[in-house]
Amino acid sequence: MNRETEIRISSWLDGELADSEAAAVSRLVATDPAARALATELGHTRAALAAGEPLRKLEDSRAFYWSKIERAIAAGEAREHAAADAPASAPWRRWLRVLAPVGAIAVVALVAAVPALREHARAGTVLLAEVESPLEDMSSFTFHSESEGMTVVWVDSH
Amino acid sequence: MSNKTDYPSASDDMLVRQAQRGDMQAFEELVARHRDKIYARAFSMVRNEDEAVDLSQETWVKAWQRIEQFQGESGFATWLTRIAINLCLDHLRRQKRLRAESIEGMEEEGGVERQMPVVISNPTENLEREELRRRIDAAISQLSVAHRTALVLHEFEGLEYKEVAQRMGCSIGTIMSRLFYARRRLATLLAGLKQERLP
Repeated sequence: MNRETEIRISSWLDGELADSEAAAVSRLVATDPAARALATELGHTRAALAAGEPLRKLEDSRAFYWSKIERAIAAGEAREHAAADAPASAPWRRWLRVLAPVGAIAVVALVAAVPALREHARAGTVLLAEVESPLEDMSSFTFHSESEGMTVVWVDSH
Repeated sequence: MSNKTDYPSASDDMLVRQAQRGDMQAFEELVARHRDKIYARAFSMVRNEDEAVDLSQETWVKAWQRIEQFQGESGFATWLTRIAINLCLDHLRRQKRLRAESIEGMEEEGGVERQMPVVISNPTENLEREELRRRIDAAISQLSVAHRTALVLHEFEGLEYKEVAQRMGCSIGTIMSRLFYARRRLATLLAGLKQERLP
């Protein structure tokens, strides 16, 4: 009897084998004395465990044992309340957590786009023109790229 | 309402409902009723009294925090022991005892354990219940953590192989093997304990 067969006998006793496997093990146990002896030993151990699960009693008194639990519960609830009463900036912090990665991605995209924009500028596709401002204290510049189909207006309030 | 409750004579279900409404006195009654069972389960897994007391108390704290989630699909005691088991498994993992001793266990499985002769007679036959419990406790204490954990979860907690494997983070085949070797070693240990008792 090999190791796998021995292990199957144990699993067979637990009812954990598929029907076909269980039938094969059942036949083996009925016909093979060594398999039957092993099944008997394993069965005795299972029965002993089922009947004799060790019990254990706490030595601490009911009040003493409970007092530690009560303190831990109170401490946990105090932490929860503290978190709930957190500063008013909490919503702002939540937005920051969302916006910070978005901002970082935008910066990376901008840095990656700079060489391409420079290339366009060298190719002369970016046209620069200053237009008249209707306001005395403001001026503006307009950048227009034919190839990109894009116009950017820069307003300068001095 | 809680002032009118006769806590000692109330059923578990009643006390759970009261606790779910925030009645801590009802919860304390539940603790008093089930604390030994939870402690015994924790001890059976970690085999250290102080750790078992701490883990059992941690179980009750978690139970209070999650009491609203208890819907009664299983009994309250079963729900509690599942919390205790998870805490004990986490504890053993943090201490790396589960992993270290499972490697030891694998080494055992390839050597001495395989050579153990089959115990023909029943070593626990005709024992008084208390004596049987004592002997099993002594024998279990000599198993590796991995073997003992598989045994406790399957034999005492009644979990199927699949559930034991999930909780221990290993394959069903490994659980089959661990249970087989744990039982074989227990049989030998129980037989040895019986011989020691002979005049």
